[in-house]
Amino acid sequence: MDLKTSIAVSASGLRAQSLRMRVIAENLANADSVSRTAGGDPYRRRLPTFSSEVDRQTGAAGVRIDSIQSDKSAFQRVYQPGSPAADAAGYVKKPNVNGLVEGADMKAAQRSYEANLSAIEAAKSLTMRTIDLLK
Amino acid sequence: MSIGALDATSAYGRVLGVTKPSPLAETDNSPDMGGGFGGMIEKLVTDAATSMRSAESASAKQVAGKGDLIDVVTAMGAAETALDTVVAVRDRMVSAYSEIMRMQI
Repeated sequence: MDLKTSIAVSASGLRAQSLRMRVIAENLANADSVSRTAGGDPYRRRLPTFSSEVDRQTGAAGVRIDSIQSDKSAFQRVYQPGSPAADAAGYVKKPNVNGLVEGADMKAAQRSYEANLSAIEAAKSLTMRTIDLLK
Repeated sequence: MSIGALDATSAYGRVLGVTKPSPLAETDNSPDMGGGFGGMIEKLVTDAATSMRSAESASAKQVAGKGDLIDVVTAMGAAETALDTVVAVRDRMVSAYSEIMRMQI
């Protein structure tokens, strides 16, 4: 039944967005994580990538979590000579995590999750109303 | 619930057998023919029981802290739909049965 399939597709969307949420949480939590060694690289911001995947049984295209890749952008350099992670010149490399960007990303993930929830709710209520025809 | 539905089905089948003995008795004995009302209900009930069992195992995993919440929700939704379908079909069938019983011969 297509309504059942649409619930499964929306569930794959929920799974994808919850992973996106998890990666954003990782980025935010590690916004100040620096290297353990002097002059080393700090935490690198991560980004999940998704792709569509057609389910052979139902023919419906759900979301598949492709990979979690690292953001290639440059690190910030902050002058903190006392830090154990500072290089010879006294600069510490800070993660390339921007709170504003993560916040916007989080909102987008939240909205997308909510959209999938609404799709599930709609499919469920349509199924129930169809069953109600029997009553 | 399922026992009540099966009872009603067999009663319905018996009534059908009384009114038209030869052809329907045969279809009743072979569920593969698709003619048996009892066979259909039995399949519905089995499907509902299967989806309810998977919902149960998903929620048990969730309670144990090893499950996926989305799995629980979708399994529960499938079980709910299956159960509602069985209940609706049963109600419809029982009302048809009682209507036949009320019929003046």
